Amino acid sequence: MNALTARIRAIPTWQVTLSAALLGLGFLIAAQLASEGPRVRYTSQERTPLVETALDLQKQQDGLKQQILDLRAEIQGYEATGEGGAAVTRALNDRLDQARMAAGLVSLSGPGLVIQLSDSSAAVPPDGNDRDYLVSGQDVLAVVEELWLAGAEGVAVNGERVTTGTAIVDIGGSVLVNSAYLVPPYQVAAIGPADMFDRLTRSPGFVDFVRARSETFGIGVGYAVSDTVDLPAYAGLVNLRHGRAAASPSPFPGDGPSATPEDGP
Amino acid sequence: MRRRRGRVALSLVLVLLGFLVVVQLRSQSAGQALNGLSVQELGELVANLSTRNDQLREEILTLGRQRDGVKGAVDRGDTSAAQIRSDLNRIMAWSGALGVTGPGVKVTVDGPLPGDAVEELLNELRNAGAEAISLGDIRVVPGVVVTGPPGSLVATGVVLANPVEIMAIGASDTLAGSLTRAGGPIAQLGARYPDVVISVSAVDKLEIPPTDRDLSPKLGRPRL
Repeated sequence: MNALTARIRAIPTWQVTLSAALLGLGFLIAAQLASEGPRVRYTSQERTPLVETALDLQKQQDGLKQQILDLRAEIQGYEATGEGGAAVTRALNDRLDQARMAAGLVSLSGPGLVIQLSDSSAAVPPDGNDRDYLVSGQDVLAVVEELWLAGAEGVAVNGERVTTGTAIVDIGGSVLVNSAYLVPPYQVAAIGPADMFDRLTRSPGFVDFVRARSETFGIGVGYAVSDTVDLPAYAGLVNLRHGRAAASPSPFPGDGPSATPEDGP
Repeated sequence: MRRRRGRVALSLVLVLLGFLVVVQLRSQSAGQALNGLSVQELGELVANLSTRNDQLREEILTLGRQRDGVKGAVDRGDTSAAQIRSDLNRIMAWSGALGVTGPGVKVTVDGPLPGDAVEELLNELRNAGAEAISLGDIRVVPGVVVTGPPGSLVATGVVLANPVEIMAIGASDTLAGSLTRAGGPIAQLGARYPDVVISVSAVDKLEIPPTDRDLSPKLGRPRL
């Protein structure tokens, strides 16, 4: 026994470290090869360019959204500069700021809740459907709707703000919000009242959702209540191409025959 | 000497280890998730992303023109009230604070359909590019959710009488096509609820009212 201990002690430290590192290396090589499995299985001449195109389009989309946010900030800056002391313009600018906030075009921070939905780690039974064990667009939509019902005043999913035109859809188990391709886990963040969590977890619809998806298929549902939840601004189309705004029920400041000298020629 | 060789070997192994950790983590992300999709689903995803990017480019052009207009007004020493008013109108109509008129579709749901099924129809209309949607006289904005079992639908505390009428402004052929396509939401709902009749008709001019909800955040503050 003493001889064995002595032999172990005689092994240089660097050899022990090297062995541990080689063990880790072996594990990672095995994991990498295993993760290549599905790719090899599904790879075809059509698939590879489609995957590359989708990734490229998503990258372009991120850049375009940033351009929109930058342009909006620039416009807002000019509009503020142009106030020029005119009371009517100042009032219009205030109203515009409010309208932007109400529309989801401004990043917000406030008390709220984040719900994380993650794919199931349970083994799929032989007669089971793989997709039942993945978070779907329907799951995300259900949670967003339950948050609205619990009193949320703003919601975002993985950095995509939910607005009046937001659709949440899935294509083959992948979730798109505002047509942006999102990667699980899905974090549904909401700003709302202090009792939002209690209202949510007492809602029969949410209880049914947890029972149907979490308890049956193992979909992960995590919660975090926070004093500071950040919601990004919506970066997308804010245009009516087919519709036209109806007349404002309450006239804008400066509307009417006696107003708008500052409109100028 | 032996000890030095050992350190070199250890360093090389650790570098390789770090590299593989990064590769492994990166391969867990978007690219890998896409590998679970079929060719048809990938095609649908590409089409979706492409359409959205075209819309974003269009928005960038609009905002660019708007920026030039406001900047021009400021450079000339004018105040920019006309520009601001136009921007305000656009944002309020889009968000639901102002009514909207235009062409679109009227969807009539006749029969006992549950709230989540009506939400599926609304979600599909949004996905097809609806610019404004109403349920009867209720403008559909964030926070408006249709709930209830079949035959007892409620939205914002208002009971929705049968038949439920959904109006949506947008390209009527695209909106109608999206709802009625083979395997689309109406086909799926028809299979699940055979007693329900859902019809879609194109309308030249719809008038969708503004919301009566206060959309301004009360607890959230602008993040600088």
